[in-house]
Amino acid sequence: MPARRQIDNGAASAKTTSSQATVSSIAAPNAPSNGGVADTTSTRKQPPPEKPSDVRRRTYVILSFWVIVVLLGLPIWWETTTIYRANLPLSEMLDWADGKACRPVFPLRISIQANSLHEQEAQNLLRLTQHALDDLNDFSGHHLRLQLSPPAAKETEKDDDGAALTIRLIPGESTTSTLDPYAPILDITYPPHTIPSPSSSSSSLATYVATQLRTTFAEEQAIISYLLSSHSMPSDHRPQGLTPEAADSLSKRTTRSLKYAPTYHLTFSLFTSGPLPSSWDIEAAIAEFMKPVLDVLSPIHNFTIDTQVQLYATPGVQSQVLTKEDLSSFINAAEWPLSPSIGGAPTINFIVFVGNQTIHAAPQGTADETDRTSQSWLIPQWGTVYLLPLPSDTTHVSAEKLKQSLLTFTSHLLSLTGTPQSGSLPLRLSTLARIRSADLLLRASSTLGSLARLALALPSISIPESVADGVSTTMSHLRLACETLGGPEGLAHARVAEAEAERAFFEKSMVGQLYFPDEHKLAVYIPLLGPVGVPLLLGLLNEIKAWRKRRRERAEHAAKKRE
Amino acid sequence: MRQLFSLFLALLSAASLSSAASDYHEQLVLRPLPLSTLLASFNFRSNITLSSFEAHNFDLFPRSLAQILQHAGTRELHLRFSLGRWDAQSWGARPWDGAREGGTGVELWAWLEAETDEEADQKWRTLTNALSGLFCASLNFIDGTRTTRPVMSFQPEGDHPNATMENMHLLYGVLPHEVVCTENLTPFLKLLPCKGKAGVASLLDGHKLFDASWQSMAIDIRPVCPSGGECVLEIEQTIDMVLDIERSKRPRDNPIPRPVPDHELKCDSSKPYHSHGTCFPTDYSAGQDWSLSQIFGKSIKETCPLTDPSIPPVCLQVPESRSVYASQGSTEKKNPDRMSRCFEIEPETGFEMILPRIETEDPAKSAAVELVKPETPLLYAERSFTGHGQERGGVQTILRNPSLDTEVEFIYMESLPWFMRIYLHTIEARIEGHFGEQEPLIKEVYYRPAVDRARGTQLEVRMRVPPASTVFLTYDFEKSILRYTEYPPDANRGFDVAAAVITILNPEKNGTRFAVYNMRTTSLLCSLPTPDFSMPYNVIIFTSTAIALAFGGMFNILVRRFVAADEGPEMGSTIKEKLGRRIKKLIEKLVKGKTAEKTAAVETKG
Repeated sequence: MPARRQIDNGAASAKTTSSQATVSSIAAPNAPSNGGVADTTSTRKQPPPEKPSDVRRRTYVILSFWVIVVLLGLPIWWETTTIYRANLPLSEMLDWADGKACRPVFPLRISIQANSLHEQEAQNLLRLTQHALDDLNDFSGHHLRLQLSPPAAKETEKDDDGAALTIRLIPGESTTSTLDPYAPILDITYPPHTIPSPSSSSSSLATYVATQLRTTFAEEQAIISYLLSSHSMPSDHRPQGLTPEAADSLSKRTTRSLKYAPTYHLTFSLFTSGPLPSSWDIEAAIAEFMKPVLDVLSPIHNFTIDTQVQLYATPGVQSQVLTKEDLSSFINAAEWPLSPSIGGAPTINFIVFVGNQTIHAAPQGTADETDRTSQSWLIPQWGTVYLLPLPSDTTHVSAEKLKQSLLTFTSHLLSLTGTPQSGSLPLRLSTLARIRSADLLLRASSTLGSLARLALALPSISIPESVADGVSTTMSHLRLACETLGGPEGLAHARVAEAEAERAFFEKSMVGQLYFPDEHKLAVYIPLLGPVGVPLLLGLLNEIKAWRKRRRERAEHAAKKRE
Repeated sequence: MRQLFSLFLALLSAASLSSAASDYHEQLVLRPLPLSTLLASFNFRSNITLSSFEAHNFDLFPRSLAQILQHAGTRELHLRFSLGRWDAQSWGARPWDGAREGGTGVELWAWLEAETDEEADQKWRTLTNALSGLFCASLNFIDGTRTTRPVMSFQPEGDHPNATMENMHLLYGVLPHEVVCTENLTPFLKLLPCKGKAGVASLLDGHKLFDASWQSMAIDIRPVCPSGGECVLEIEQTIDMVLDIERSKRPRDNPIPRPVPDHELKCDSSKPYHSHGTCFPTDYSAGQDWSLSQIFGKSIKETCPLTDPSIPPVCLQVPESRSVYASQGSTEKKNPDRMSRCFEIEPETGFEMILPRIETEDPAKSAAVELVKPETPLLYAERSFTGHGQERGGVQTILRNPSLDTEVEFIYMESLPWFMRIYLHTIEARIEGHFGEQEPLIKEVYYRPAVDRARGTQLEVRMRVPPASTVFLTYDFEKSILRYTEYPPDANRGFDVAAAVITILNPEKNGTRFAVYNMRTTSLLCSLPTPDFSMPYNVIIFTSTAIALAFGGMFNILVRRFVAADEGPEMGSTIKEKLGRRIKKLIEKLVKGKTAEKTAAVETKG
């Protein structure tokens, strides 16, 4: 056997040698018989030269493939995979957010009614007061402009000219001022001798009037300047007069108040920890104690009201004396049915809790006084809780017993809506309208800014056309609001602007962004692009190489010919 | 003047409130059933006058629900959460004649007031979304494909003025896949005026309720106009559950079932092989004994003070002869039908009840003494799939009329998902054993075909079952193939098909009630052809390979030049040799560089 195998092996090797021999025999005639592998290639037969028409045809084939890829393939791929991004005026939006687009100015017209003065005297007084005012004012955004109302003007006509406040100058014994509690009127009495002469450059009466005006509008100024400073307004708009304490109290107050909404939903709830009382006279109580204030607020907000009675409601804190920390956990959110109402309007909760718990105020407060007064507390941006001690066998709570709680609710409602605290009610409300329009304006601007930053930060987010529409509506309304700031149209425009900005920002199709990691894209593209792209690319490269070679040869040929 | 007015208002509201407060009533009915089970039916009913409802003074009416009703323009609402299967063979007729029961999962139907169908759809969406939030259920998944507008099966239960009747749209949605659990019970209890804190509601506990063999929670809201009185909006909350007594009696802290010790085994001594070592267990129902606290884990602590005192809060349906021990402060009142008794509980006292075991020698006799014999239902129904394979299937419903002399006429309603395309021509009803000519069983068919991905199939059949006969209702369907993203994560489990609704019509056509009995079949699990979910990538690879093959071949044929084998470059001398040559060159370069450096160094030295 071994012998046989050897023979086989021998035969195989003989075969290979013979084949080599044949190759070399073919190669032999063309080349010198040096042997050596390197030389065999050069010894191979050259293919016949290609016809130029074939070369041209190949070029056309490759070119047409590439034309199809570039003119048809790429556009289709681009069209199907691109993310639609509507054009947003990004720089303008950022300008709004930075406060560069609008300088909020609140020109307030104040008319002076001086029926007992001569035209000349009144004009002079007005000029001097305006001077005094301008000297006092350090905040350019809030501007008080005085004007003289014609002496014959009737009471009813006064409201139409849009003055924020009317000053009635009445001759009297001494210099006093009183704010009318029911109308935006400031009554100032003056002794006749304080009327400045036409030539004098200063007058005590003018200074007095200016200071009075300034104190009346001090809070509004402070709030507006606080609003401007809390939003990123450029520093030259900011007033300097805001002390840290004032800013602190203002920030407390603004965090307490609810976000502006055209409609608020008021929910009055009676909670008891046991089965009694199971009914109350809330309808009558609201009609008597709260309705007047709601009516006054109606130009700014609408209110809807509902009431409920809930028995067996155990509070979140069981102790008899509530400390400050307990107040935040008193509401048993898990069990009490205080879900916000359905629909867009935010809900303000007013809770009467029947129980004899007492609130233990801060230790430095005098015990007796606090025990009597603190029966209620305000939960920022949410509502109010009022503890109502009742005998345990009461089955029905009468409207009279609800009086105190409803009055508390009313005052808390004003602070929850962000109404300023000083001044007469009409003044406070007109101030509220101005604050709200400034607030909305700033809010809408900052939303625009956020949207612009979002669009810049996420290049793969799609921006539908509706967002662009929303942005343009917002901006046009913002512009209008900025022009008419301080007036009722300003509030209306700011409202629309804010709503549109929110709608644009929370566009649904923008939120649901599909996430495609790059690896997935690779996994999808490689199987197709690899086998197709490589021959295409190599074909192109070879063709370019061949073309350059041909050109060189042609050049050499031409050079030779010339020689 | 104003004060006088407010006083008047106060008087008015006080009057209405006092009447409203007494309008609340709650009742628990306990009915022992065969096979050691117990049916507990809780019923809570309260109402609010329509005028104060519209004035948003909800008082004890649940505000969250009331606001939803107002916002969605809902005039009447029925919501059901159910779990398990009612075993009609042994338990008999359903409680409330099936009117407070739904199919497995969640069922919702409501009459909405709307001018157009689109508006009704809009309101329906609002309603389902809001209820979904309120009851922590996936009701928001009731979309167009799961909503139908039944034509024959439902009639409003409340009293609606004719003006609103014209604009009322009935919409019906069902979620058979929803698993009802504790998170649905908690909001349900919150709607009660006494919460779960007092009265019979304090017995309700998620652990017990969802451990039941069958349970159904129902909320029904409808306007009721008593003759001569003011219209009220009535909310009725019902919980029915069938408890397995043995299982309920297991202590909470030791819930694992263990084998009964030898000496506690109940054996049937009449069997011939009965001896010390062998035991044939007796029928379960022999000797049902329990107490409230054993079954529910607690007894009633105090009564809800708002309840109408004229309605006894707890009733027990056992034969009159059976003795029952009740705690002090309660009075037992036997009802004239001799089959039930009720307990009146004095205010502010608790209640506990013990049903002792009856010791009898003859187990056959004891059943009659112990239990009220379950009422036979008007109809038995069973539904199942027939056929095989992934492409086609069939549905067969077996309807049996147990009555010997009365015919049953009813409406059979199916709302099927769109991916079950039914062949209406195959619908057939035949009586078992009859093959000749017979009076048609199907009287009327309402069919609304499915639209892919937009609407499900709605099939309503008015048919009859003759006395003492069984009818097979069958039809075939085709399964469609879903899109990749339409499969749920657990696609191989199958797709739930909602229960069929059977409404047995009142034989007296002008009777007050439209339906005398309602029932649901069980829900079905339909398996669809499920793809391999790595499919898209496979498809990409496969098509890419095919394209690459075709393209590569064609491109090469077009571009390459073909020469004889001895004319081209040699095969062996391609990449390998090229590489070798390159490397050689590189090495040579390096060596040369080094020697050049060396020579340079030598030269500088020299």
